[in-house]
Amino acid sequence: MRPGVGARLRAEPALALAIAILWVLIALFIVYPIAMLLARVFVEDGHFTLTGIAAVLTDRHQVVAFWNSLLLGTLVGVIGTAFGFIFAFAATRCRLSPTLIRLIDVAVLLPLVSPPFTMAIGYIFSFGARGLITYDLLGIKGAGVYGMTSTMTAEAATYFPIAYLALRPMIAAIDSNIEGMALSLGASRWRVFRTVTLPLCIPGLANSFLLLFAASLADFATPLILAGNQFPVLPTQAFLQITGLFDLRGGAALSLMLLVPALLVFVAQRYWVGRGHYVTVTGKGAGQAPFDSVTPVARWTLVSLCVAVTLFIVYLYVLLLYASLVVAFGANEAFTLQHYRVVFTEGLRVLGDTLIIAAIATPLGGFYGVLLGYLVARKRFVGRTTMEITSMVNYALPGTIVGIGYLIAFNDPPIVLAGGALIIIACYVFRYGATGIRTTIAMMQQLDRSLEEASESLGASSSTTFRRVTLPLILPAFFAGLGVMFIRSMTAISATIFVVSLSWTLVTVKILENMTELALGVAAAFSVVVVAIVFIVIFAIGRVLRRLRAAGASAVTGLLAT
Amino acid sequence: MAFIDRGLRAFRAAAAALAVCMFALLGAPAATAAEVNVYSIWPENWARPMFEEFEKATGVKVNFVRFSSGEALARVVAEKNNPRIDVLFGGPVETFAAGVPQGIFESYKPPSFDKLPERFRESSGQWVAIADDPLVFMTNKKFLAEHKLAPPASWQDLLNPVYKNMLQMADARTSGTAVTRIFSILEVNGRDENKAFAYMKQLRPNVQLYTKSGGGGTLPVGIGQAGGGIFFIVDALDTKAKGYDVAISFPKEGIGTSAEAIALIKGAKNPDTAKKLIDWATSAQMQSLFAKYKINFVPANPEVKVEPSLAAVLQGAKIFPIDAKYAGANRKQVVDRWIAEVLNP
Repeated sequence: MRPGVGARLRAEPALALAIAILWVLIALFIVYPIAMLLARVFVEDGHFTLTGIAAVLTDRHQVVAFWNSLLLGTLVGVIGTAFGFIFAFAATRCRLSPTLIRLIDVAVLLPLVSPPFTMAIGYIFSFGARGLITYDLLGIKGAGVYGMTSTMTAEAATYFPIAYLALRPMIAAIDSNIEGMALSLGASRWRVFRTVTLPLCIPGLANSFLLLFAASLADFATPLILAGNQFPVLPTQAFLQITGLFDLRGGAALSLMLLVPALLVFVAQRYWVGRGHYVTVTGKGAGQAPFDSVTPVARWTLVSLCVAVTLFIVYLYVLLLYASLVVAFGANEAFTLQHYRVVFTEGLRVLGDTLIIAAIATPLGGFYGVLLGYLVARKRFVGRTTMEITSMVNYALPGTIVGIGYLIAFNDPPIVLAGGALIIIACYVFRYGATGIRTTIAMMQQLDRSLEEASESLGASSSTTFRRVTLPLILPAFFAGLGVMFIRSMTAISATIFVVSLSWTLVTVKILENMTELALGVAAAFSVVVVAIVFIVIFAIGRVLRRLRAAGASAVTGLLAT
Repeated sequence: MAFIDRGLRAFRAAAAALAVCMFALLGAPAATAAEVNVYSIWPENWARPMFEEFEKATGVKVNFVRFSSGEALARVVAEKNNPRIDVLFGGPVETFAAGVPQGIFESYKPPSFDKLPERFRESSGQWVAIADDPLVFMTNKKFLAEHKLAPPASWQDLLNPVYKNMLQMADARTSGTAVTRIFSILEVNGRDENKAFAYMKQLRPNVQLYTKSGGGGTLPVGIGQAGGGIFFIVDALDTKAKGYDVAISFPKEGIGTSAEAIALIKGAKNPDTAKKLIDWATSAQMQSLFAKYKINFVPANPEVKVEPSLAAVLQGAKIFPIDAKYAGANRKQVVDRWIAEVLNP
């Protein structure tokens, strides 16, 4: 018989303490900034007011933008998840050569490790009236680049690696013996895939749909450049409302509209996934699959698809590299290293600031994600669901709103953080730690509780069980979380543009600035350097881990160590 | 938590020192007693040389970050109760005008104040202009050649169907450039709003994209993704200087110009150095440096001569100032109407 919740917490002071600390942090860095922002929005001269907000919410064009955002988020979620799944499945089940897998890994990680705008800028050069692909290659005249198709494909291409990153360890963790048994019982490969493999992936698929949907809802950079005037979406509208029309109220109201679908998807996902039972990691070990999971035709289709997508991404980055090495792309294409000279002189301090902040935010965010994910997935305590939902708020809200909220909340006493590094670090941890939380929870849903129960029934405390049993099992989630934290710390912009200061500024802000002032070469050079740094760091982490860690972490470190 | 931040700063200083040893590229910032903190709306490649010259002239160190006008204003408003900066530098007057009712500026009249034309200063000294920036038509020469066109010389030329879906210009929701453009159109139509809006609606099918920033369309026009557009002269001449093959022209009916401003922040922590910067920026001392650094603004201070090559471009162009009173009184109404009737018909 299980003891009551209260009794368990009393019996485990470490658990109670961890929960208490998490609540304090969540209150401080998630609830407080949003509350301060809401206070600015809804309170005027001490009175509650809806002026300004009503006007925005009843505006026909904002309503259109709302539905456009939902459509875009859904399409990006579905298409990105589908591609993430295809890539993950091909990488784990199609017996690809390790070299090919490594090449694909490097290429598909590019959009994920790049500063925003890079993909969109590549699109601007490639499609359109004088686009390299539409005009120079295909000879189409008067092609358009702005609109839903460009925005959607650019976002899907940017975010599908998240799905790949989340799904690959999950598929790898599925005991192929289960599939083998189904095959040997006479089921066709398609039937095995449909009735065994796919259902086992549902937590991961739902999880990655949620991540991509949220990423699309929060992305203002891509639509800002690619959506044009015919396809307005809310994050961009909110950004324009605040920075263009100087209407904080209206902008915040638009952003709050975004919170509704984000939370709805999240809740739906929770209940849909929560109903099934998907344990595949048990106390018994899993062997290597001794059979082919797919037919040769299916295999070639999957592989060609992966290669085509990969080549497209590589093309966009060759373009970026080229832009960083010529005087002025499209005008004076003489070779120069001038842009890199700027990066390593004027830009050196910014690079240093960015690296220091990323180096601090990464372990903090990784640990925060795993701890919170583990607690809400495994422990029973009061307010557990509230904690899980609250922890997603900063991730689900558009960055503009989170950034402004932080600036308002932490600029004045009692808590003054503005102007320092901590406000940026906190912003990263509580915004992008969410990825680690989601991955951990999804991972925990695959782990049999009996492993931990065995440990606890033998007298180990919660913390010992977590450290000795659970942690090694969820290390892949932890390292995936670390990777995402580092990448985001190097590349995020929407929220951080409001929390950088005179003393601490970030490379992405610099890139945005250079892009908007026609210094495209410098912007490209900065982007190339950022991508290189991220790859080196991830490679180094992977090397260290491979030396230190056992089989449990290999799936993800293999990915990260490319 | 401040001590953590100090620690981090020390760590960064150490890292910076290490970088100096390794690359001998970056000098550790010398600690100066006098400093001033600035948000610059001017791009860094124009703001940096100006601030370096100021430092040379006065010994006051300028710490600055660059933001677009909207982001800078949003930050200053959010930081109102505990200002982080002393001076808001550069950026169109519209941005400053929007800040005045927010109570974020402190009135200050520099020595040059009385010499400036009325449109270059807010009457109580909430902001003062440091430069002037006329609008121009910029077109891609290859596009013109392909369609056997001369550079547009009239607002009517832009209505030519060959420009269908090929023009880029700024979005009035976010850009002072766009507001200046709309008021130019009002002006050339004798301030007859219905006539001006009829023109803009007629122009709409030719517009491929309304960009977020005033200069957002320069690169697309430069590389030929768009055929042309309406931009500030600084952005247009910068595009040309980068090597893009573009033509710059003016409409015979005339086109408007907008001032760039500077303002003292209310509650500034370094008011003395801030005033020094404002004195310097509004004087001939700074504005005569525009030519040296190839910044194609027209100086606001009447004592400074327009640089010859810029003057050559401007020669014969009919440029009129936007009446601040008329624009101020009608801005919101006109922008709202533009959003409703032109942007989202």
